[in-house]
Amino acid sequence: MGVETRLSRAALLLGAILLIALALGVSFGATPLSWSDILRGDETSRAILMRIRLPRVVVAALVGAALAIAGATFQTLLRNPLADPFILGVSGGAACAAALATAFGLAQRVPGIVPAVAFAGACLSTLAVFVLARRRDHTDPTRLLLSGLVLNAFFSAIILISFSLSRQSDLTAALRWMMGSLFAASWTEAVILGVLLVPAFAALVWFAGDLRMLAFGEEDARSRGVEVERVKLVGFACASIVTGAAVAVSGIIGFVGLLVPHLIRLAWRRDFRFTLPLSAIGGAILLVLADLLSRSIVANSELPIGAFTALLGVPFFISLLRRAA
Amino acid sequence: MLEVRGASYQYGEQPALRAIDLTVDAGQLVAVTGPNGSGKSTLLKLIARVIAPSAGEVRFEERALASWAPREYARRVGYLPQEPESAFPMRALDVVASGRAPFLHRFAWEDDADFAIAREALTTCDAAHLEGRYLDEMSGGERKRVFLARVLAGKPKLILLDEPLAALDIAHVQQFSRLMREVVDATGATILFASHDLNWASAFSDRVLVMRDGALAADLPSADLMRAEVIRELFGFDAAVVESGGRRWLVPGVGGDE
Repeated sequence: MGVETRLSRAALLLGAILLIALALGVSFGATPLSWSDILRGDETSRAILMRIRLPRVVVAALVGAALAIAGATFQTLLRNPLADPFILGVSGGAACAAALATAFGLAQRVPGIVPAVAFAGACLSTLAVFVLARRRDHTDPTRLLLSGLVLNAFFSAIILISFSLSRQSDLTAALRWMMGSLFAASWTEAVILGVLLVPAFAALVWFAGDLRMLAFGEEDARSRGVEVERVKLVGFACASIVTGAAVAVSGIIGFVGLLVPHLIRLAWRRDFRFTLPLSAIGGAILLVLADLLSRSIVANSELPIGAFTALLGVPFFISLLRRAA
Repeated sequence: MLEVRGASYQYGEQPALRAIDLTVDAGQLVAVTGPNGSGKSTLLKLIARVIAPSAGEVRFEERALASWAPREYARRVGYLPQEPESAFPMRALDVVASGRAPFLHRFAWEDDADFAIAREALTTCDAAHLEGRYLDEMSGGERKRVFLARVLAGKPKLILLDEPLAALDIAHVQQFSRLMREVVDATGATILFASHDLNWASAFSDRVLVMRDGALAADLPSADLMRAEVIRELFGFDAAVVESGGRRWLVPGVGGDE
């Protein structure tokens, strides 16, 4: 069996699971939704489906795909299986910008400001990490990780100070955002995410053959005709943009970027050309299911979605890890 | 086929190569030797196009390296880093097949022909039995043979190996040295390999380049290196030279003061 056939089969399998997850996500929620009502043309049921449920599961899928793609890319670029958008300070930068907007009272006065500054914060912090890690004409992966860690500490400090300066009433919204939530998901978010995600994913697919060679070390890749600095720049830019977009829409949702690419590599054990597309589908599945659990376990209340990505992902991860060993 | 003209390289302020001049003809097996930090690895990286010279130039097949398209060059020149790595666990066969990358079109995957070449290369390196094993389950020497197979899978005309013998046990050092000779004789490829071990650098090679402080201290036929007076002059220590199996071998710590 050729490699492409293996990839198509894996993608079909995961795609089918994603469809089931989407169907489940649409069917369950605060208000019971009956498919027969929808088919009969019941207006209320249709409105719930089209304006609330569907955009929400679509946003969940896109955020999951974005975080998993970013994780897979950062891990390959840094040749470090522990790398993810959080360790590099990308999410920290987004959270920091959002916390500042809250502290200055902007979050309440200007609608849509939190996602906007979060996106800017994510992109700016990547740039900062890059500038800090750059030495002469190349960027060293270890320095990148260290710069990310240091920036994270800096961002945490600013977040703590901002929170102490914020009014009590503004804090609830800020905390909800920090814990990750798809509460506000609508078609607008879905479109914005899609517009940023699709070109970034396409660019990563375009360079996937080069990116996979980076796993063998940058000098080795260069000796094999890979234009390393250009490929790294594209990789970091795309991964940061999709992280920024995801964080802006959903707040801080952990584990997806770290966990999903690992699961894919444990299950298929192949290079980036496999890991990238399969991580996208896997991340979508994980987040749709996590979102479903977060809003349906306790009636009329939403639990933090980030907790469920970990609750769902970790047991699965441990079982794969044990089987592999 | 290869010409290095006044090539220098600096790591920051630290000069690593000083005005190297060198010509290598096709079909030669050339050893690069010298003490640690003498510039062996840097010279190979310069030729592999991993780094660009700060002065001077390298020419391959009559063309300056800068004028080669990176992938075109990678199809002709294979490079084995001193410590080859793979960030994620991969099967040996997939690792070796990735050596075909410079020949693949964008979006193309390695096909059956590529995997056949990869298997052949594994067999050549006495590593066919490792095909389905994962890199993280192998010993250092096994991994080195897999990565050598990866270089050979690109069927390069010029092969650059940085300390290929370093992680190998003595039986595989011998076998590997013979293998380099066979590859040169069978395919007409040129091999430059770095080794700090003077015995193995000279045992099967045609020619030895001796590096010292970033400069080319000597360039001589391999057989000529194995003389007590040459060793004393180049490396500053006394050693006995013994003959065995039609070759001369250096026995350090014997002779001299005694």
